Amino acid sequence: MKHSFSASLLAAFLAASSLYAQEFKVGSPVTDFSVTKLDGSPAQFSQLKGNVTLVMFISVQCPVSNAYDDRMTALYNDYAAKGVKFVVLNANRTEPPAPVRQHASEHAFPFSVYKDENNVVADRFGATVTPETYVIDSTGVLRYHGSIDDSQNLSRVTTQRLRMALDAVLAGKEPIQTETKALGCSIKRAPKS
Amino acid sequence: MTRRGLLLACAARALAAAPSLIPLDELAFRRMVTSHRGKILLVDFWATWCSPCREELPKLVDLYTAQKSKGFDLTTISCDEPEQQASAAHFLQTQRTPEPAYIRHATSDDAFINAIDPKWSGALPALFLFDRKGAVIQSFIGETDMKLLEKTINKALAS
Repeated sequence: MKHSFSASLLAAFLAASSLYAQEFKVGSPVTDFSVTKLDGSPAQFSQLKGNVTLVMFISVQCPVSNAYDDRMTALYNDYAAKGVKFVVLNANRTEPPAPVRQHASEHAFPFSVYKDENNVVADRFGATVTPETYVIDSTGVLRYHGSIDDSQNLSRVTTQRLRMALDAVLAGKEPIQTETKALGCSIKRAPKS
Repeated sequence: MTRRGLLLACAARALAAAPSLIPLDELAFRRMVTSHRGKILLVDFWATWCSPCREELPKLVDLYTAQKSKGFDLTTISCDEPEQQASAAHFLQTQRTPEPAYIRHATSDDAFINAIDPKWSGALPALFLFDRKGAVIQSFIGETDMKLLEKTINKALAS
């Protein structure tokens, strides 16, 4: 019985692993991918990226992601002028384009938000939580993966993790922290066939 | 007493009666898991801001109620911020979750998350199923497939 239990657990683990086959890892290149504009037309990462690119997964409904709405705008206002391109994605199957558009409008986001249909891009990045961010350097290599800072409560933030990573990558340096974590809402993935 | 006053009094009494949550860091987590040795333990990391967590908690309590006599334990760890502790405790009270219940009290979420499982991103809901020796059998991150969870618990209890 123990053997069959272990075998079934292994099968479940392998099945789960194949659902989230992370392709882009820190230190490795990020190849091209497709996203969908909120009007339904396609866009390519290769056309959206810049010298330094921030890919960020956000949510309409997640209170943690929403706690960062103003901080995301402040990030854009501070770093777009330095040449950082923002590719902001919504991969939740539960959040179709209309509420994503309304949410972006209500919060006056200065950046475009794209849909990641069927969380294909989230799978390639291994993104599982909102908000979750990735910084890609001028050579196309992923240099930082993780949280925006260390507390969803702005008054308790002690380390500006993403800003430190962006500053380092803009200066052509390795971020001090390349992988960080924070609690947040799981990305609501489309069921796999 | 007016109807509004009565409602406020009832609400205040309910909040006052809500159990306090025990602060828990990485070391306390390991001690807590160890204290359940000999039983199959399901640890539920949840938060009041996590809608799927709130939706699945009653189902976890149902599982616990059905299986506790077979050696199954359920422990909840709130990942709420300190200012949300009272509403977290009140919610647990309404769900009749087993006590004691815990609230994350870590100086670093990075260290806390990695101590639980280096593969866990911090996404909620997050369930971790432990065997009778305190080793992780399986984790369920994000919306939980309750049938798979129940099946896994039953197999663990039978092993």
